[in-house]
Amino acid sequence: MAEITFDRVTKVYPDGTSAVSELSLDIADGEFVVLVGPSGCGKTTALRMVAGLEEISRGELRIGGRVANHMLPRGRDIAMVFQNYALYPQKSVYNNMAFALKIRNVPKDEIDRRVREAARILGLTQYLERKPKALSGGQRQRVAMGRAIVREPQAFLMDEPLSNLDAKLRVDMRAEIARIQRMLGATTIYVTHDQVEAMTMGDRVAVMRGGILQQVDAPERLYEQPANLFVASFIGSPAMNLVEASLEAESGRLHCRFGDSSLAVSDICRQARPEIEAYAGRRVVVGFRSEDITDATSAPEAGADRRLKAVIEVREALGSEILAHFSLGEERAGLALAGDVIEEQDGGASSPRSRRFVARLGPRAPVREGERAELVVDTDRLHFFDPESGLALGRSRT
Amino acid sequence: MAALVTPVAMSRSVERSQRPRRMRLSTQRRLTGLVLSIPALALVVAFVVIPIVQAVYYSMTQWNGVTSTWIGPSAYTQTFHNPAFWQVLTNNGLLLLAVPFALAIPLGIAVLLHERVRGWKFFRSVYFLPTAISWVVIGMVAERFFAYDGPLDKIIGSHTDFLGSSSTALLALAITFVWSMIGTNTVIFLTGLATLDTTVQEAAFVDGATAWQSFSNVTLPHLKRFVQLAFIMTVISAFSALFSLIFVMTGGGPGYSTTTMEFFVYQTGFSQSEFGTAALYGIVLFVMMAVVGIVQLKLIRSE
Amino acid sequence: MARSAPTEWTAPAPPGTPVNVAGPSVPLAPARSRRSRARRGVLFLLMVAVAAVMLYPFYFMITTSFHTEAQYQTGHGSSISSWTTLGQTVPIGQQLLNSTLICAASIAIILVVSISAGFAFSKLQFRGSQGVFLALVGAMMVPLQSILIPEYVNVSRLGLTNNYTGAILVYAALGTPFATFLMTTYFRGLPDELIEAAVVDGLSYPATLWRVALPLALPAIATVTVLQFVQIWDDLLVGLLFLQNPAERPITVGLAVLASGRTTSVPILMAGSLVSALPAMVVYLGFQRYLVRGLTLGVGK
Repeated sequence: MAEITFDRVTKVYPDGTSAVSELSLDIADGEFVVLVGPSGCGKTTALRMVAGLEEISRGELRIGGRVANHMLPRGRDIAMVFQNYALYPQKSVYNNMAFALKIRNVPKDEIDRRVREAARILGLTQYLERKPKALSGGQRQRVAMGRAIVREPQAFLMDEPLSNLDAKLRVDMRAEIARIQRMLGATTIYVTHDQVEAMTMGDRVAVMRGGILQQVDAPERLYEQPANLFVASFIGSPAMNLVEASLEAESGRLHCRFGDSSLAVSDICRQARPEIEAYAGRRVVVGFRSEDITDATSAPEAGADRRLKAVIEVREALGSEILAHFSLGEERAGLALAGDVIEEQDGGASSPRSRRFVARLGPRAPVREGERAELVVDTDRLHFFDPESGLALGRSRT
Repeated sequence: MAALVTPVAMSRSVERSQRPRRMRLSTQRRLTGLVLSIPALALVVAFVVIPIVQAVYYSMTQWNGVTSTWIGPSAYTQTFHNPAFWQVLTNNGLLLLAVPFALAIPLGIAVLLHERVRGWKFFRSVYFLPTAISWVVIGMVAERFFAYDGPLDKIIGSHTDFLGSSSTALLALAITFVWSMIGTNTVIFLTGLATLDTTVQEAAFVDGATAWQSFSNVTLPHLKRFVQLAFIMTVISAFSALFSLIFVMTGGGPGYSTTTMEFFVYQTGFSQSEFGTAALYGIVLFVMMAVVGIVQLKLIRSE
Repeated sequence: MARSAPTEWTAPAPPGTPVNVAGPSVPLAPARSRRSRARRGVLFLLMVAVAAVMLYPFYFMITTSFHTEAQYQTGHGSSISSWTTLGQTVPIGQQLLNSTLICAASIAIILVVSISAGFAFSKLQFRGSQGVFLALVGAMMVPLQSILIPEYVNVSRLGLTNNYTGAILVYAALGTPFATFLMTTYFRGLPDELIEAAVVDGLSYPATLWRVALPLALPAIATVTVLQFVQIWDDLLVGLLFLQNPAERPITVGLAVLASGRTTSVPILMAGSLVSALPAMVVYLGFQRYLVRGLTLGVGK
């Protein structure tokens, strides 16, 4: 196994479009790093550059300490799992796995040992003689994994390996891949557009957008401390509620006002994010996660400066919880929600986002569609962003 | 190629890390592609492209196989004064009129067969079978069929030598041609019908379309590409394979009444040893093919 | 073509029939089944009639071949004499061998060049490869007759009309454009990832063609082989001109020359025709689905 280093790696296509810009990322030996982002963010290009299928325009890529920019794929000793599995249709499962070893003139009994071991790990032993056509999607996925495993490579590269599976199988395979990766201790780069996959699988998650790395962090930190508006809105489902507000100092307290609503910034929050003091009297984007909202009946002690007067527009009962999509009454139209900010940054490219807030309430919260409700925000857990740069304020909180 | 240019410093560090004689993957890919396509290209250039250029040159010479004199472009004007040339050209034009029949009849057969007539698979094979026999064999049978007091005369009760009469020989040839195209075109259309998404037809019926409306609004548009394919195959056959039929059935006669351009080339070159003129007819044939091809393309584009 | 077998009268008539003016053929009510059955009967008879027309040449060839020339003129009696004398009139064994040789050699060349070029055009694009591809495919539209004179001059000047070589090369060159087109279309259908997987597994590009793409191309290879076999076996013009030595004539050319001479007895000609048609017919019936595929691969289905 080996570590992989991107050192200001850039990919510019002949037509001048740049797919990856100045990507710097250190992946430790045995680490599972997920590259995540919307389509066209450069994550797959980055992966293919590691595989040697895509040339590097500038910068340096090192695998196991050796500069790999111009190494041929076969010299890199990496294995790749493709989105459509790319199994050899005419070969049996056994031969699909054995093929790369045969090319490398690995002794026959060693090939056999490795293939059978991989088949055992993946539960493919009884399918070894079958052709890929005779397998289910999940089994094909396993064969693709097996083909990588038998190589015992320096690193595994996986390009959206689960996206062709149905939802339930995807959840199963997610855990399966993570389990195998930990068992083998294999350096792995995993590309996905699905932030849930990214959060559940990666030791660290690298969020990319427009060819630029936004943030690399452990999943929890990514969730708790998004570096900018994009990461805040991309990671987490439902997405973080984001709204443009004015930050006003009043008798020693900070309030963020948006529309008719006003939330007081708690002392804990102020201590954690001293940078926001400089924004008093200015505009910020304030964010709060849907689970940091409760209905007022279950938090009767909450002060008025934590309460929102909401109109419930859609109520989604999921059994274990209720997702309440709400607006802030008549002033709604005047509010600049996070979606707008993001859209401006994308040049209007992304799809229009919901103009509603979302609260994740307890299963018995007394909310009804079309009715008013009072909601309480956990103001210890507010997020702040600069509306111009989109960068998080006070990310340094530990 | 911009992608091949690397900063000097970096390529040096790369050379240190691996054997420098190794080519990059993308270079290998392009080079392999180039090398692999050369044999096909060489073959076609040597036997198709170069001869086209030569044909243009030869067409402006008077050449009997031994002595050759340069005439220049006036060779073409001379040819245009030759009445036989115009008759041959007319014959080609008349034979093109057979093409719609060579498409419509198979289309009808295919649509009917698609009704799941009992044994449709058997019928499909039967209709396809004549495609396997050579034009030479078809021509030999057709020659007897159209002969004086032959099977056709017996059927319609006449005593006509269809191939011996300049008023009927071309028609007999055209009928034989249409017959020979039925198998191929029927199978093309059947394949097209098999790929038809029946839910679209069902939607049309739910919308209240009659069978004919459904055919003209759903089936026929779907078959467009297959009709194009059949059209091209038929025209190519009319401009090249018809040679064998003529060679066997009529030898171009009586007179020039069944001589088409493709046969004219052969006759002029190898019976009359006028190589220059024959090459010129070849060029005319080439232009005719090009015109049909371009018109066909234009028709597709205009839709 | 996976279709369910036609069921009995309850089967909905597949829509899209111009002759059916009975209105929409959404599932037929049982009340209309009689009419439907009658219609099916008429259709069936119509198809039988078409079949008779299509099979007529075979009927003619078979019956005629079992006559003597005199019997053929009068239409009475039967004889196997044309079959027994066939070998003396026509060097049929030699001609079949010639046909086989020429077909095999030409097809071998066509396969080699079209597989490698098809793989290059679809998976190993180089600068200008698209243009080269279009030019190659465009050559498909050039009738041999339009370049017949220079072709003949070139090949005979090289002394290649005295043996099989000239004809083989001309057949190969004429077959290559369409074969390359088919192979390119076929290889385009293979996912790029398959090639990339092979490269990551450690293969060079030529090795990828040989070990991964080629085994997958067997259906396309079958298609090209069958199409070209029938084409070359049945061809007249090339064999007529580019094989100057009568002993090297393929069977189709041999028959055509005999037929154009108009001195050979018709029954013997028909017997010879049957013999010549048999290999192509066997190939056609045996590999029908590859032919259908080849005919329609260009449509992109």
